[in-house]
Amino acid sequence: MSINTTDSADVFLQGEKEPSGSWVFIVVGTVFSLSFLLLYSILYPGQDLPVISDLIPVFSGVFDSGIWFFILGIMIGIFSIVGRLLLEATSE
Amino acid sequence: MDIVLTTMFYFWISLFIVFFLIQRGLWIFSDVAKGTVSFMLEKALGPGSDLVEGRPGSGARSWIFQGTLWLILASTFTFISMWLTHDPNALHSLASWGFVANADELASAGVYATIYGSVSMLVIGSSFHIIPKLAGTELASETNANLVSFVWTISVLVLVVGSQNNMILGIEIIPLGTAINAIALFAVILNQLLTFANRTRKMALPGWLILIALLSNPILSIISIISGAVDDSAGQWLSYHLFGGAFIFAGVAGVALYASSFASGNPLWSKTLVGVTLFGSIITINPFGDIHGQMVMDAFGPLAENNVVSFSNQDMLAATFLMALVSIPVLAFASNMLITMRGSDAFVDSPDYPGNAELNLGAWAIVPIVLGSLFVQTDTVSGTLELVGIANSMSVMSGWLVLVPLSLGAALSLYPELTGRHLFSNSRARWGYLMMTGGAIFGLSITMVADFMDMALMEMMVEDPSALSEELRKLGSVMFYGVVIGAILHSLNMVTGMFRGELISQKSVNSSSISVESYFLVSPMTVRRILASGADLDTEVCPTEEDNVKGNATSLEQLSDSTTPTKLYVRYKKEGKWTWRPADGTDIDKYMTEQG
Repeated sequence: MSINTTDSADVFLQGEKEPSGSWVFIVVGTVFSLSFLLLYSILYPGQDLPVISDLIPVFSGVFDSGIWFFILGIMIGIFSIVGRLLLEATSE
Repeated sequence: MDIVLTTMFYFWISLFIVFFLIQRGLWIFSDVAKGTVSFMLEKALGPGSDLVEGRPGSGARSWIFQGTLWLILASTFTFISMWLTHDPNALHSLASWGFVANADELASAGVYATIYGSVSMLVIGSSFHIIPKLAGTELASETNANLVSFVWTISVLVLVVGSQNNMILGIEIIPLGTAINAIALFAVILNQLLTFANRTRKMALPGWLILIALLSNPILSIISIISGAVDDSAGQWLSYHLFGGAFIFAGVAGVALYASSFASGNPLWSKTLVGVTLFGSIITINPFGDIHGQMVMDAFGPLAENNVVSFSNQDMLAATFLMALVSIPVLAFASNMLITMRGSDAFVDSPDYPGNAELNLGAWAIVPIVLGSLFVQTDTVSGTLELVGIANSMSVMSGWLVLVPLSLGAALSLYPELTGRHLFSNSRARWGYLMMTGGAIFGLSITMVADFMDMALMEMMVEDPSALSEELRKLGSVMFYGVVIGAILHSLNMVTGMFRGELISQKSVNSSSISVESYFLVSPMTVRRILASGADLDTEVCPTEEDNVKGNATSLEQLSDSTTPTKLYVRYKKEGKWTWRPADGTDIDKYMTEQG
């Protein structure tokens, strides 16, 4: 007895519409990453994070007001509009 | 004669002459003028006209998209200026790049971006759709309208740069920006006048509001120079407010009135009230905006001296009287808008027109804000200066709660017609509206409370600033951030909708989750009221009777089971008296034939 599976295996299928729940996995991934960063400081107390710890002092005295968080939000918003325009203009 | 009445008199006479010329034409020169203007709008541009597309609706689309993008910058500048008011050193790190952020200068940039960038572009963009529609013709030059939108954007960018640093390489930047803006506006006016000249029917009054608004800007500039208003302290204040009344208010009113009818599907309630709005916007002085004429001084550069606002007795009387009259056109406009949108009985919220909510907000908010502005301006004109502290908050309120909602609402209403698609998401449009409205109302109200606290402390000669006032300003600026998010949501929704929005030919998605499967008709009812209850075309309408027993609720289950057939009666004369008999098949056939 044999099962013919070639019809379903040799074609590639991709949905056109984005499932509404896909963003949840991105958020979960981000939360896990942040958790691992916290875990690093617990496992290796006193040890600076590689690369990131060298970069942060560069910005000390620059982004030292809460307004920068809001400006960051605005920049993300503007980039999302520009990104959408570029994406739509270059898509087939 | 005093400067206020002299300037106003010249302004009225000039507008009347222009109105007369538009109506009558230029006699034998009309055809020559048409040909010349047509040549100037397209052929004279040379290769410039090849840079942009000239498809129908592309001009209006381009203006409206750029106006919406300016909304983001305008709200951002205003938000940062509000933040810097309580935390002046928040952006001190930018000094290393040569930019010293200052609250007053950023507030000025916010005003330029809001009024010239956003409101004006949305109004002009909408007018490129409205005037041809009302005139029953096509826009004279789509190519020119499209191209000039970019010139206008450049002029606003120059003005914003000028508000931060007005002198670069020995050149005054704001007068330069004003000159570029004037050139762009001249092209817009010629385009609209040529469109009007090709009209195939009498134009409705909202179209006249827009035309007069556009024409009033250059006329006012010339009149201000001739009458000497640009060089006079009261004259500068007057020119600023005439610009706000005739150009901004009349233009916004024109597009909003058109959109109120277009979006609701109801005919415009009163022609007389539109006429009163038009006449009043020219005759009266609009109290919206600043309490000084700084923008006029900046715009006219070398022609205007720096003056502190002061009024002679005659000027004070004339200005106060003409300003008090503004309540007539404002009430006429607001009532006409609201009643038009509600129709004769109920308000039908169509998902196809997401601008409805913005139009509603603007029509409601204009009355209290005009009254508040009237108090503030009268206080300044009379020299009492007790309400100077809240003048800035009131000015920002008039922008974000009246002018922006009305112009944006009109643009959103016209969006499906212009792009051929609906907005990408009605839900996002609703969130955009809620964020913008909530941010503007709460952010600016809280800031105004802080203003009142500071005024009270100043009156009591308290030298230390209040910590509570500072906290309130902080809260106000954070709340105002909602306006920025709302602007981003609206822009993103429009941009995405342009590519992926549902085509207007397809069935629209209902924004309401309420589904009415059957509707019980207990008394004669208009179709509008049935639709307003949530019914749609698939809803079954069941004629039934009410339970008239006092205190008893009508049982829907029983009614649905016992639906009675409709009985028809015929009225006829029997022995000289009118009476009724049950209709038969012949009567019904006759009735159906008469009804077509």
